[in-house]
Amino acid sequence: MAQISFISVALKNLKRKTFRTGVLVFAIALLVSLLIFAISFTVSVASSLKKSSERLGADLVVVPVGARGFAEEFLLESKNTSFYMPFSIIEKVRKIEGIEALTYHTYLSSISGLCCDIMPTRIVAYNPETDFIINPWLQKSLGRPLQLGEAIAGFGTSENLGLGLLDIEATIFNNRFKIVGVLEQTGTGLDHALFMTEENLQNIIESGKSPLKKGQISIIFTKLKKGLDPDFVGRILEGEIPEVDVVARSDMGEKFISTLADINKIFLLTTILASVLTTFLVWAIFSAIANERSKEIGIMRALGAKESHIVRLYLIEVLVLGLLGSIIGVLAGTYLSALLAGSFSLLKNISAGLTVNQQAVIAMVGLLVGTTICVTGAMMPINRIKKMEPLLVIKEE
Amino acid sequence: MFLHIENLTKIYTVDHETLVGVDNISLSIDRGEFLSIVGHSGSGKTTLVSIIGGILKPTAGRVLLEGVDICTLDDSKLSEYRANRIGFMFQFASLLPILTAKENVLLPGIFNPGPKTDKDKIARDLLEMVGIGEKLDSYPSQLSGGQQRRVAIARALLNKPDIILADEPTGDLDEETEAEIMHLLQEINKTQGVTIILITHNLGLAGKAQKQYRMSRGQLADI
Repeated sequence: MAQISFISVALKNLKRKTFRTGVLVFAIALLVSLLIFAISFTVSVASSLKKSSERLGADLVVVPVGARGFAEEFLLESKNTSFYMPFSIIEKVRKIEGIEALTYHTYLSSISGLCCDIMPTRIVAYNPETDFIINPWLQKSLGRPLQLGEAIAGFGTSENLGLGLLDIEATIFNNRFKIVGVLEQTGTGLDHALFMTEENLQNIIESGKSPLKKGQISIIFTKLKKGLDPDFVGRILEGEIPEVDVVARSDMGEKFISTLADINKIFLLTTILASVLTTFLVWAIFSAIANERSKEIGIMRALGAKESHIVRLYLIEVLVLGLLGSIIGVLAGTYLSALLAGSFSLLKNISAGLTVNQQAVIAMVGLLVGTTICVTGAMMPINRIKKMEPLLVIKEE
Repeated sequence: MFLHIENLTKIYTVDHETLVGVDNISLSIDRGEFLSIVGHSGSGKTTLVSIIGGILKPTAGRVLLEGVDICTLDDSKLSEYRANRIGFMFQFASLLPILTAKENVLLPGIFNPGPKTDKDKIARDLLEMVGIGEKLDSYPSQLSGGQQRRVAIARALLNKPDIILADEPTGDLDEETEAEIMHLLQEINKTQGVTIILITHNLGLAGKAQKQYRMSRGQLADI
């Protein structure tokens, strides 16, 4: 049979009052789950925005003046919006010094009715000659360029439900299209679009059902020469071409970021309050424990326990409590984050998701914070316990 | 001299009032002696053994164990002294309620890992020796007062101490059990050569020791 150890004595102490132990574990679990949820929410939104803007691969995005919000909604939030500017803007942009490459998209929203037999969705028409955004995705998924009369579905479109709809035909603005495949997930708002080359647009315009007019485009993506500051070039662009707004890659999702900053403040305040309350609870419970077990501590000291032995014994108790509560909190927080993600419009409209690495780091932060708070709350009572005069506490009846 | 107490004094200050717990006591004890100290409550008996046991610092004087003054040891050394050389028995049931009889006996072992010995076997043998070998896995709440004292004796012996300090170990026991515990202590003293200092207010019990002292108002006198 195994001999007793500090760990076995600490565990037996924890089992002594299971309700009290349960309350402490529950409190720590609540705090950690709140923390995990807050961090997961913030990190998933922030990293999704960053990932989306990076995936687009453009240093600057040029949109019609006043359409910046619409463009972000389209590219990041998967919202159906249409905005147009004259094709001639492309040449004006090309002339700006520092522009290395550019391409453009034209966005359309399909409508319910006889002209379209697909669910209302977003249509992206691109120029296959200049494109550096869709082509890499297409190469990976289809292995060849799209032909006239062909379209490919984004990962999150209705057409991709069940994945059995490949090689189906669809009518879009009275034109028959063959859906030839599905793109891999990109994590951008474009996951919810149907893609086709711009040569199809002429026929769509001629159908008369689309708001699009000849010679219009929606957005221009530009790549800058190496070493140039996107903000600087963006300011020049806006100065030279008053009809456009320019969004630098780092500024994509500004609306989200400012909302996120406000949410972060609320999360931070709530987490601080919960941390203070939990620390106080741990302090109160361990103070009670110190009083309850003072005679036992005196006996242990008389049996040869050093101050460090007493500290070790109670620290193990605290660490077990902290770790147990934190592990439950991490699991609950992660589950809550997944469960409630759909309830937040901020998360619903963007392709938010955390990588395994991010989840691991957040879990580690949760474990660390939960355990640290537990130890912090218990340190003062533990310090008092170790300083107790053995004879005085032994004689206390 | 094995244990030499020299001009030992302990003064307490309670609410600005000075109380003399131990008043200039000097005493020499040989290895393997069994001595008893009788006295009324508040006479200073517990204070004296607490100082000898290293759980209380004196105001003045020295306690020399084989020439080493334990009153000058720091907390860590004093804890080692208690763990290695002293076995305590208290005047109340001093077992930890969360531990079984055997675990209670093993408890001093975690504070004094010492050489790699099979402490589990030692604990079993000790419980066997004190007559409750069948109660290894019983919790204190499942043991009688006498059985709990026997566990406390076994626990005091785990680390093979030089001195057992028994502070009224039979205080709340019936006469029969009291006699059994006393007999057990005498056996341990005889067979293992452990020095025993027994504190009691029972003159009959004190008379069974080799030397008897009386304590009154912090002062010690031969009986």
